[in-house]
Amino acid sequence: MTNDASAALLETVQQYVAGANPFVIVGGGSKSFLGCRPAVSEPPAVVSVAEHHGVINYEPTELVMTARSGTPLSTVISTLHEHGQQLPFDPPQLPNATLGGTVACGLSGPTRPYAGSVRDHALGVRIISGKGEDCSFGGEVMKNVAGYDVSRVQVGAFGTLGVLLDISLKVLPLPESTVTLMFEQAAHDTVPMVQLARQYLPVTGAVLIGEQRFIRLAGSEAGVKAAAAQLGGESVNDDGPWTGVRDLSHAFFDDIRPTWRFSVPDYASTLELPNDDDGTPAATLYDWGGAQRWVKTNASAEVCFAAAAGAKGHATRFSEAPAGAPTHQPINGVSARLQSELRASFDPHRLCNRGRFHPELDS
Amino acid sequence: MVADAKTALSRADKRALYSSELSALVPKGQVLHTDEDLRPYESDGLTVFKRAPLSVVLPATIEEVQAVMRWASSRQVPVVARGAGTGLSGGALPHEDGILLGLAKFNKILELNAEHGYARVQPGVTNLAISNVARPHGLYYAPDPSSQIACTIGGNVAENSGGVHCLKYGLTVHNVLSIDVVTVDGELLTIGAMGCDDAGYDLMALLTGSEGMLAVTVEVTVKLLPVPPVAKLVMAAFNSVSAAGDAVGSVIAEGIIPAGLELMDSPAIVAAEDFAGCGYPTDAAAVLLCELDGTEAEVNAQIGRVSDVFNRCHATALHIAETEDERLLLWKGRKSAFPAVGRISPDYYCIDGTIPRRELSTVLSRMDELSKEFGLRIANVFHAGDGNLHPLILYDASVDGETERTERLGSEILQLCVKVGGTVTGEHGVGVEKINEMCVQFDTDTLNQFHAVKAAFDPAGLLNPGKAIPTLQRCAEFGAMHVHNGQCSHPELERF
Repeated sequence: MTNDASAALLETVQQYVAGANPFVIVGGGSKSFLGCRPAVSEPPAVVSVAEHHGVINYEPTELVMTARSGTPLSTVISTLHEHGQQLPFDPPQLPNATLGGTVACGLSGPTRPYAGSVRDHALGVRIISGKGEDCSFGGEVMKNVAGYDVSRVQVGAFGTLGVLLDISLKVLPLPESTVTLMFEQAAHDTVPMVQLARQYLPVTGAVLIGEQRFIRLAGSEAGVKAAAAQLGGESVNDDGPWTGVRDLSHAFFDDIRPTWRFSVPDYASTLELPNDDDGTPAATLYDWGGAQRWVKTNASAEVCFAAAAGAKGHATRFSEAPAGAPTHQPINGVSARLQSELRASFDPHRLCNRGRFHPELDS
Repeated sequence: MVADAKTALSRADKRALYSSELSALVPKGQVLHTDEDLRPYESDGLTVFKRAPLSVVLPATIEEVQAVMRWASSRQVPVVARGAGTGLSGGALPHEDGILLGLAKFNKILELNAEHGYARVQPGVTNLAISNVARPHGLYYAPDPSSQIACTIGGNVAENSGGVHCLKYGLTVHNVLSIDVVTVDGELLTIGAMGCDDAGYDLMALLTGSEGMLAVTVEVTVKLLPVPPVAKLVMAAFNSVSAAGDAVGSVIAEGIIPAGLELMDSPAIVAAEDFAGCGYPTDAAAVLLCELDGTEAEVNAQIGRVSDVFNRCHATALHIAETEDERLLLWKGRKSAFPAVGRISPDYYCIDGTIPRRELSTVLSRMDELSKEFGLRIANVFHAGDGNLHPLILYDASVDGETERTERLGSEILQLCVKVGGTVTGEHGVGVEKINEMCVQFDTDTLNQFHAVKAAFDPAGLLNPGKAIPTLQRCAEFGAMHVHNGQCSHPELERF
């Protein structure tokens, strides 16, 4: 079942633009916990893309799929699986997640350092800008340098550069064979994962949970078998920790403290985070070979941002934040000026998801 | 200062004034302004367009670039940045009222970090030089445009360059971690991150491929990948181009992503064989070069499957390179296809469009018709894995009107690429060359949004003005309008 609601969406957005009325963009609502919650008195106007759904074009041998933003992520993935293909960035499959929300939030799973991110696979987008204009960037071919690469810039922009309508992504074959290996090691030591990244092996995941390192190998059966024999370790019989880490449902996330995501160089040393008031240290799960660190802590946003900056990275809060509290590493200086101008070039009145992403770019 | 830029100075006066002011910003000998000195900078790799700038400035430090940009901003002088000048779309064509910012002195590799897999380099370092210093550590920089021996990494960032291995390893945008840029008003900032992503908007993606229109790149940090332990090349011959095209689809359908998958048609095969003597079957209508790389176990498993696919797809001959030397020789033929064609024709014009691969037969047969219609021969090399087509039009510039006819044929081919769902440029950039065809690919609102993005970075339009994105006026003059939902896309403009 598919439905093209673009005309209605365009009309709705144009009305809001005419009235200078800010609006929030909603797909399946699965990631409503992400981003800032502006302290506003009235509930904002809503633009829902849920009714704009369906795969528009999918030719497996072209390695490209185009689908509407409201298409359930599960539909996208099952359609690809039927043809032996996949989204290479293996995004979190939160209940009710849509393709549009996945792209807008720029979320990639454990494969990211090895297979690339959402933005790496974005080929084209059709959007409604904050000016109420229907624009199409990029296309459905893998190599395309005509015009600025606006498609990739939409990824992770949290809808602040317009409403995503249609999205074209590069897709890849599913691996023939997958194996997960487990190694006992010292906690917090990312060096073995960093060293692994310098070797040519069919790795598609590397996480460190407590004192256990999990390595996933995927590819041709012979290739995976040979790599597994080379690495040693203990073969894990079930799927391993991948789904739980990807979907934030692993037992690690049961800790009731807020979740923070740190994106840092994989070789960054242990993050400097203070203990909680009762002396409990922050808990860290190392994904992406050490480049993405999930941290459970009661530390303030400012402390998390400082720790991330100290590690040459950035931090994002991944639990619902108190109203008005910052959730994304603040941007400043020349970069803030340019990014604010970029936002304004798509949405001069800052109507799309105002205050949700980087409030410092909204004034 | 701004005031006298507006007064009507003669070209010679401006040249003298700018040169003397620029000479105060950079050491002696780094400002060129005589006709003789400017001549080498009149064009880039697309030599049909030539134009002299008012002066050429060759800064050697980031501070000097900042000083030049501050000067240009306050004087409102257009600036065109240039690396090695190997670009094929006129992206580095000078502006007649502006200065050319040559970055050739930025030629140092600043840091090679093998442990953490990156290299920090100046923008004037050549693409191949990076891999050359990384290779002793078992690492390399993946994008490999055919001009890699000469083209610079700064230019690669500006054009989002690809290469024959980008189906598997991606383009420049997938392999650069961060860049330092100088803005139009001379401010320095770092874009991107040493981790997997950065806070805020993905400016790294936006600046990659922005053709020098948004900022000047002064430092580049690239990702280095481990060299695949094994690479094997299969060469397959076919008795029609469409059979070869079908074979490409069948390899992908098999779930195999080769490191490189290149197609050449008969004229290209014959020219390349004559040039490189690499053992191509000159009686074939099409040849596929399919490279598989990875661990020995992986490559051995895949090579058999690919050979089976080619046999099923009626390959007339199949050959697996037996030695590393032979593999490199077979690649040499492909990589030198352009100069090879240059030997069989006084001039050639390289087109760069991308099409959905399933349209290959349609596009090639239409191109055949166009070739006859225009009376010009075409040889084709094709990055078949990702649909990037490089028709080479053979012509003779000394024959009256043939250059213009060639350009018209090129334009027809690009419009054909758009018509079948592709794009006017896969990897060479728009520059000045394909600016008219951009009007066919994009509608008014989208073009306006591109201009708005440009204005966010460069409100006065001083960085590489007139390139990459056509004005609506220009689209109206070109007359090849993008028709969207049955409506002509520039109803607000008068027609010529």
